[in-house]
Amino acid sequence: MEPLLEQLERFSEVLAVSRTSHVSTWDSATVRRALQWARYLRHVYRRFGRHERIRTALERRLHSQWRPEGGLGLDSVPGLTNFEALRCSDVLLSLRLLRNRALGDAACYYLLQQLFPGPGVPGGDQVSLQDQLARLARRRSAVHMLRANGYRESPKLQEDPLMKTQAELLLGRLQEVGSAQAESRSRFLGSLWERLPRSNFLKVIAVALLLQPPLAPRPQEELEVGRPQTAGEGSRELVHWLLENSEVMAAFCRNNPAGLLTSVAVRYPALTRVYLALLTDWGRHLRYDLPNGVWVGVETQDVQWAELCDRFQSLCQSSTPLKDEVLTALQALKKQDGDFEAPGLSIWTDLLLAIRSSA
Amino acid sequence: MAKHSVSLASDCQFWMQKLSEWDQASTWETQQDTCLHLPRFQEFLRQMYEALKEMDSNTIMKRFPTIDQLLTKTCWNPFILAYGESQIILIWCLCCLINKEPQNSGESKLNSLARSLLSRILSAISFDIKEVGLFAQGLGYEPVDYYPGLLRNMVLSLVSELRENHLNGFNTQRRMAPERVMSLSRICIPLVTLPEFEPLVEALLIYHGHEPQEILWPKFLEAVNEAFLGKKISLSTSAVVCLWLRHLPSLEKAILRLFEKLLSREGNCLREIECFIEESLLPRAACHPAVFRVVDEMFRCALLETDGAPEVAAALQVFTRCFVEALEEDEQPKFALKTYFPYAPPALAAALLQRPRGAPEEHWRQLLEHGSQLLRQLMEDQTQRSLGGPLESWFLFTHFGGWADMAAEHLLRSEAEPAEAVLWLLAFYHSPCDGSRQRAQTTVEVKAALGRLQQLSRSTTLSARDLQAAAGLGGAAEPRPAACPALLRCLLLNFLLWAPAGRTVAREAVALVARTEETAHEIISFLDRTLYRWDQLCIEAPGSRKLARELLQELCVQV
Repeated sequence: MEPLLEQLERFSEVLAVSRTSHVSTWDSATVRRALQWARYLRHVYRRFGRHERIRTALERRLHSQWRPEGGLGLDSVPGLTNFEALRCSDVLLSLRLLRNRALGDAACYYLLQQLFPGPGVPGGDQVSLQDQLARLARRRSAVHMLRANGYRESPKLQEDPLMKTQAELLLGRLQEVGSAQAESRSRFLGSLWERLPRSNFLKVIAVALLLQPPLAPRPQEELEVGRPQTAGEGSRELVHWLLENSEVMAAFCRNNPAGLLTSVAVRYPALTRVYLALLTDWGRHLRYDLPNGVWVGVETQDVQWAELCDRFQSLCQSSTPLKDEVLTALQALKKQDGDFEAPGLSIWTDLLLAIRSSA
Repeated sequence: MAKHSVSLASDCQFWMQKLSEWDQASTWETQQDTCLHLPRFQEFLRQMYEALKEMDSNTIMKRFPTIDQLLTKTCWNPFILAYGESQIILIWCLCCLINKEPQNSGESKLNSLARSLLSRILSAISFDIKEVGLFAQGLGYEPVDYYPGLLRNMVLSLVSELRENHLNGFNTQRRMAPERVMSLSRICIPLVTLPEFEPLVEALLIYHGHEPQEILWPKFLEAVNEAFLGKKISLSTSAVVCLWLRHLPSLEKAILRLFEKLLSREGNCLREIECFIEESLLPRAACHPAVFRVVDEMFRCALLETDGAPEVAAALQVFTRCFVEALEEDEQPKFALKTYFPYAPPALAAALLQRPRGAPEEHWRQLLEHGSQLLRQLMEDQTQRSLGGPLESWFLFTHFGGWADMAAEHLLRSEAEPAEAVLWLLAFYHSPCDGSRQRAQTTVEVKAALGRLQQLSRSTTLSARDLQAAAGLGGAAEPRPAACPALLRCLLLNFLLWAPAGRTVAREAVALVARTEETAHEIISFLDRTLYRWDQLCIEAPGSRKLARELLQELCVQV
């Protein structure tokens, strides 16, 4: 077992190096050995994919490589990220080398000869590397064509294919990180929060929370490996992380569209409570502008009346229990303010009026 | 070679021009023109590769000075990259440009260009999904990890949009404009064979929209049909029926392909024919009367063109059997028989559609007589009203040709006096164009042969020659040539299979009769048909079955 684990680690390093300028020292023999290695690991994948014990041991070793960096960073991406990656380790290596301008001409020439031997070369018992790469190019084109011609943005973000794909990727990674070490998930999410464009990340989190578990498995070209379907676990982890990080949670509720948040609230009562508390807090910051007859923010970052109203209305258009909860909360707030019926005195009265008029 | 590369060079100019016109195939006109030329361009790329692989990059640039521009333009056209094998041939071409040890800046530049194009078409994140790309990259994923999933989600989203549109019609706010459906079908042309696109192709085929005219691009329908017939994709039966109903040329092509398959090689046994026919999905699609009528019409033409070739008749019979079975299994609302066989009286169609399994001889006699009477009546009616005459009735009966074989078998096995109606049925089936006098003559001959054979069945010493003479197949010994020798041979063969006395001399008798290749084929076809029919009707006859199988094998070896 140990030699296999070591091999895995070494190849992972090779893969990591394949993106760097070190490949300038590679000659055709190095390229050949690296490709042989990748093929060997692909064989390992096929052989042990269904072998739970070996698979787990291999995964653990792979994940242990991440820990020192505290997650996967753009620059800290190791060679192999999970066991699944072994399936296309040769494709990964080839693409990295192809993209890497540091690879010398002779080595590149040799690489291309290996990758694309030309027509009529039998691929053996499996889809040849050449066919896989051709299919990749074809899929890439297909995505491009659909995006440019047939695509229309979904009115519901959670149904948007681009968002859904990102959410699936996030859940997939989260699951792998989690299987390495439980608390590393939250550290991993934290590192993403630091690195990724936030507005998109927050949307992806919301969509991930709404993806129906179990997460649909990726189409497998070779064999369907018994990958545990624990997408539910991923979304639990996301909820947990949001609740633990008030700054993120506030941004989450502030940046995402009302409809999306309502859908999340319907599913996750724990988040609903925080969302309502935030809405209440934001409402408290608004003052009534008597001359103009509108509620306005005191400071620039305060939520606008229209937005607040939109969020409450959206919540009240949802399922009955949630709607009741929201209305009850608003009624209680209104009572605390003196239970006025006339508009312009308490923001809660006005919100209730607005909800009733839109119902 | 030189001449070849001259013509390739001029092709290069032509395609350069085209590629410049197409640009990135962003308007529907350019898309349409690109789709039209995709197969030809792929062929050109293939020829180009064959030429390039023999040269070094220096020679390449000398012979084809614009090749770098041509390949670059190709790499930017998504339709070409998506079509069939074009992307891999393009990759091979690009590989040919790469120099192992570039000697000057020109060669280095070419290397660098080819490498960047290769990496572009294989893994560059398209600009239009940059957000996904960045996010995935942040998570440590590469395009190869997420393109399949992304494509699947995009396809599913379009499928659900189409379905929603299809169900809700005018009421939905997300109504898909017909132009959008059409443009979607155009995009799918190069992509129909990509597995991820199957759900979308199905959804488009089933989608009807609310416009009276066709909203799918005809080239799309052609491409789907071609991929389906070439077994490059698998589609549900309902999607295939939709395809054939909305595009008649596709249906005709499917039928012609089936005919070609059935007739291209000799010696197909009925089991094989059945496999081909089932596989074509045509019998199941024919549950829709419009499809059935087209298939039927093509069979009719084929029979007329070939003067009733037995191979075509056999294919029609197997097709009809598969069709009837599909009709019984079909869960869709049933159509009246009249819609499938508009010229047949319902009683006759119903009678012929019966397949009584394990019925006693007496029952068979009744069925045969009843069927014969109805058919005769139809024929006389049609002749009177000049509705096609005997040929139409014969065509109808030929769908169910197994009845004629059953009639011959019945006559041989029955002890009773042969019924006139059954004799008429046989005479009619074997020579539909005969006048009534000729038919009467045939009937008399058949009756006489039957009498003689029956006598022989009781004799203890029997020779093959006696049998041949009794069947009226004595050749020169006969007072005059038989009116319908094929029918007499059919009786003789039935005698061999059923009469215990006949089995002992079966091989000799067959050898005597199967003198010419034509009659040998006729006997092979008879034995194959008989075994097939016995299986269908669950006829228990172990001895006869064994003999028939052995005779069939022996004859097949001989011819």
